[in-house]
Amino acid sequence: MGLGAFYDQHPRLILGVASIAVLEGAWELLLTYVVAYNPFFLTKPSLIAAAFNQQIIQGKLWKDIAISSRAFALGLALAILVGIPIGAVMGWRRRVEYALDPLLTALYASPLVALAPVLIIAFGVGLTAKAALVFLLSVFPFVFNTFAGVRATDRVLINVVTSFGGKERDLYLKVILPSTLPYIVAGARLAIGRALVGILVGEFYAASEGIGFAISQFGDTYRLAEMFSGILVLCIAAVALTEALRKLERVVAPWSAEQTSR
Amino acid sequence: MRGYREREPFILGAAVIVLLIALWEAVPSLVTLSRGMALFFTTPSKVAATFWRMLVNGELNRHLYVSGLEFVVGLGLAILVGLPLGLLMGRSKTLDALLDPYVNALNATPRLVFLPLLILWFGLGIWSKIMIVFAGAVFPLLINTYVGVRNVNRVLIDVVRSFCASERQIMRIVVVPNSVPYIVAGLRLAIGRAMLGVVVGEFFGAPEGLGHVIAEAASNYVVDKVFVGVLIFMGMSLVLTMSVKKIESNLTRWRPEETKTF
Repeated sequence: MGLGAFYDQHPRLILGVASIAVLEGAWELLLTYVVAYNPFFLTKPSLIAAAFNQQIIQGKLWKDIAISSRAFALGLALAILVGIPIGAVMGWRRRVEYALDPLLTALYASPLVALAPVLIIAFGVGLTAKAALVFLLSVFPFVFNTFAGVRATDRVLINVVTSFGGKERDLYLKVILPSTLPYIVAGARLAIGRALVGILVGEFYAASEGIGFAISQFGDTYRLAEMFSGILVLCIAAVALTEALRKLERVVAPWSAEQTSR
Repeated sequence: MRGYREREPFILGAAVIVLLIALWEAVPSLVTLSRGMALFFTTPSKVAATFWRMLVNGELNRHLYVSGLEFVVGLGLAILVGLPLGLLMGRSKTLDALLDPYVNALNATPRLVFLPLLILWFGLGIWSKIMIVFAGAVFPLLINTYVGVRNVNRVLIDVVRSFCASERQIMRIVVVPNSVPYIVAGLRLAIGRAMLGVVVGEFFGAPEGLGHVIAEAASNYVVDKVFVGVLIFMGMSLVLTMSVKKIESNLTRWRPEETKTF
């Protein structure tokens, strides 16, 4: 297969890879041969790669990553456990929706990270405060997406199941859950982004360990290559999680692929 | 009682919010707080009193001005960059393929991770905040514009083109008007991100601004002042998001309601 034919088949892949390669190359060459740069302000890809190797491959940063992951997982798990039932009840009982919707919408729309200092006063510096912040930010996508999913359940399907003698339990397991699941997965994708914000803010603001702390510490000590390797780790984790959920979205709901914007 | 059923959503929603505030107010008289807790506990009435005092003695003016400036300039820059870039990426397959890896990766990563870097580059003043607001707000605008452009009906473009329209005329007559609802939705998301940028940006070493007020009050354990800041941020985001939401629903009355995203 010629190069031209390969290009015709995968133009996006090739252009994307080329664009990254050219940018990295230009960055490296520019700072190596053209501009005399100040290492306190700039760094170059080769140094970042070295730092990445040292911090990640050889594992200096793993301790911080593990600590952040704990708070992330704890907060997110709590958000799932609380958010999905609330959303389901709101979707199922109209009065509950009326009662909770204004409050939750207001909280969802406001920058709740501003509460970070309050949480840290209340829970102290450490795992609990970070997990609480993650929970607070990521619970709303679960609530509202579950709500929308339950509400979007096809009435006809419900009628069919009941008229064939289906029990309440069948209704939940055979109709409502399958039709809500794609919404929940889409909500999880939103929630992950917000949960990462929670981790970062919690660790930038007051922490003595964790990936956010490490990044801000590298910044404070002008170790730019190390800082970039930390940023890169977070970037990789975020992209991996998002893509995994997008895949999952396609698995649980192949018919509604790409219903929400990125 | 005529009309209760119509007003039920409003009544129930308001009742829950009022009830919660009343409950919060009543906590100190219902349970005896431990000495440590009592020191940090505040009630809505105290928060309101503090808010009024800060408003009257002009303490808030300067901070509000700084935060507002960061918000407006950052969001303005994001619009200036995001909209044209989104239009171009939507219209040109090559540009789309070249930029997509960056847009995708950066959009999945919380841009707050760049805060230490931006503080290093732009200092502790207003510009590092403007840049973090910009970084947060630009992607929702860019991506929604892009999606809007991509979703334009091909037939419309073909019609205009067969009447010998130039690319500029296609843009002006078909593409831009059809993307407006998407752009407005992007603006709503961007407002949330921009607010997040202002809050978090000002938490760290800012000399002034509402986020700084919160952070400083928290480190002095003046909890009612913290809540004043939080409430102002909440109020601002609510007013802004709700008004954009209003515009949005006027523009897209024909579309089924989607799940909430902020």
